[in-house]
Amino acid sequence: MNNRAILLGTMTSSSKAIAACALLIVVCIGALSFWSEVRNEDDREWVTHTLLVVEKLQAIRIDITQSETGQRGYLLTGREEYLEPYQAGLDLVRRDMQVLRDMTSDNPREQKAILRLGPLIAARLAELSGGIEARKESGLLAGVEAVAYGNTGGKWMGRIGAEIGEMSETERRLLNSRLDAATASTRKMKVVIVCGNALAILILLVKGFVIQRETGRRNLAEQKLKHANDRLERSTAELSETNIELESFAYSVAHDLRAPLRHIAGFSNVLAEDYGPQLDGEGRRCLGKLADGAQKMGRLVDDLLSLSKVGRQELSLGAVLLDSLLRQAVEELAPECSGREIQWRIGDLFSAECDPGLMKQVFVNLMSNAIKYTGKRKHAVIEVGQTMLNGERVVFVRDNGAGFEMQYVGKLFGVFQRLHKAGDFEGTGVGLAIVQRIIRKHGGRIWAEAELDRGATFFFTLGTPEISPASEPNFTIKQEVMHV
Amino acid sequence: MSNEVEILLVDDSPEDVELTIRALRRSKIANEIQIAEDGAEALDFLFCRGSHGDRTFSHPPKLVLLDLKLPKIDGLEVLRAMRADERTRAIPVVILTSSKEQKDVIKGYNLGVNAFVQKPVDFEQFGEAIRQIGMFWMLINQSPPRGAFAESKAQGA
Repeated sequence: MNNRAILLGTMTSSSKAIAACALLIVVCIGALSFWSEVRNEDDREWVTHTLLVVEKLQAIRIDITQSETGQRGYLLTGREEYLEPYQAGLDLVRRDMQVLRDMTSDNPREQKAILRLGPLIAARLAELSGGIEARKESGLLAGVEAVAYGNTGGKWMGRIGAEIGEMSETERRLLNSRLDAATASTRKMKVVIVCGNALAILILLVKGFVIQRETGRRNLAEQKLKHANDRLERSTAELSETNIELESFAYSVAHDLRAPLRHIAGFSNVLAEDYGPQLDGEGRRCLGKLADGAQKMGRLVDDLLSLSKVGRQELSLGAVLLDSLLRQAVEELAPECSGREIQWRIGDLFSAECDPGLMKQVFVNLMSNAIKYTGKRKHAVIEVGQTMLNGERVVFVRDNGAGFEMQYVGKLFGVFQRLHKAGDFEGTGVGLAIVQRIIRKHGGRIWAEAELDRGATFFFTLGTPEISPASEPNFTIKQEVMHV
Repeated sequence: MSNEVEILLVDDSPEDVELTIRALRRSKIANEIQIAEDGAEALDFLFCRGSHGDRTFSHPPKLVLLDLKLPKIDGLEVLRAMRADERTRAIPVVILTSSKEQKDVIKGYNLGVNAFVQKPVDFEQFGEAIRQIGMFWMLINQSPPRGAFAESKAQGA
């Protein structure tokens, strides 16, 4: 598993907050920049608008002057051709006024100014029109008189000029104040953008530094972990090597013990055969003890060899029908059952991945124990089957034999540990140790429940995967009574 | 013919030799037993050389009882040399040893041993094993015809 990926994957919440902060600042600055740009565009539009309004105001003045020039020409000459520029000026005034109204429709203050300007212009235009009417009806003199009498033209034009001037001035002032405000806000914006970006960069730099430092620390920690792992692996390797050495030692000791034992047994036999008649009863009894001792020790050595063999043996796993293993084991035990009445209750077992040779030994050892410890029962009952315990498939071997006291259960699987006197039941105390080793090698567990004189039950699980559940999950009883 | 060697017993333990001979005699199976205390001596005997230079290949033993742990040349090497030479290849060999270590058993059969027997500690069982081995290889089994392999064109060992 990659420790680095895990470490980098779990960013601390504070470091996440810092990153989020920098991101937020950058986003805010972006939004502000956009908003400022939009406002600048507004300002530019306002400038254009103001200039257009001012220009239109000037145009209106020129239009009036054009009408006036036409009117004067007519008044002096009476020639119709002068009415043309007059009329054109009028049209232009009207048109420009309309344009001005449209342009300022959204500005009440300007509209008010236009409302003031409108009557002034109308009055002036009416005056001009009056002069023309007088010239048409009463001739040159009347026209000139009309201009002279009511020579209010200058007054009107002065007021119109003043009004237009004031409006233009107001527009310019407004424009200036707007431009000032825009400049100030742009300056502020610049400061905000520069400071904000600087802050974001600073945060990111600090963050980067922190990440680098953390990465360094992580690398260091990983390295330490790796070293620790290496050490652990080395110790494990050493340990397993030591174990193997120990097993080989036990094996060779046991093996080398066999030869002298064979000689003791062999020569005590020779002695008994060749010189038996010359010995008295006590001599022969001692010789018998000698042979018995050698024999017993031989069994111990053999069992010890089996135990050490199980320890050193590599599992050769395969799909195994536990049912057929069990049958083979029962057949193998037939000699031990001779002369006994044993009721076998054999249930269906599942199939599992295991070492068939070793698993058979488990069954042989457990059932051989059951046969041995029911030796004093008239009707021995030995039950083998499977059951479910906490969702785990468990095999059990139960007998109605001598049992044992549960307080000694801890010694049950120890090498050379026996819970019964040799005089009651023979044995070396290695069989269950072998069974435990085999089960543990498979990654399973073994335990026992018993009551003194009421029998014992051994349970075991296999750590290896079971291949298929038995067709009949419930415990069924196949009865098979052996009378030999 | 009475002094023709019937069994070559290769074992470095005098006690085991004594007990084996006793068991064989008791079963009245073999009279002529040759002892070799190490592998080199066994090969000298089998290949008619050294102190056994006066022997001929035409009179091989009917059976070799071979221990594995031997001084100088071990049992498996003796077996290998025997099986490598056509003149000794057909001689029945039974490994008779204290060990029943799996790798020795496998090696033995790979080298072409005829049987592999672990010496039982119990003398009754030991005697019975020896008796059955002797009975089978001396009486029941048909040995290769005398001299059938003696003149083969093997490169001596």
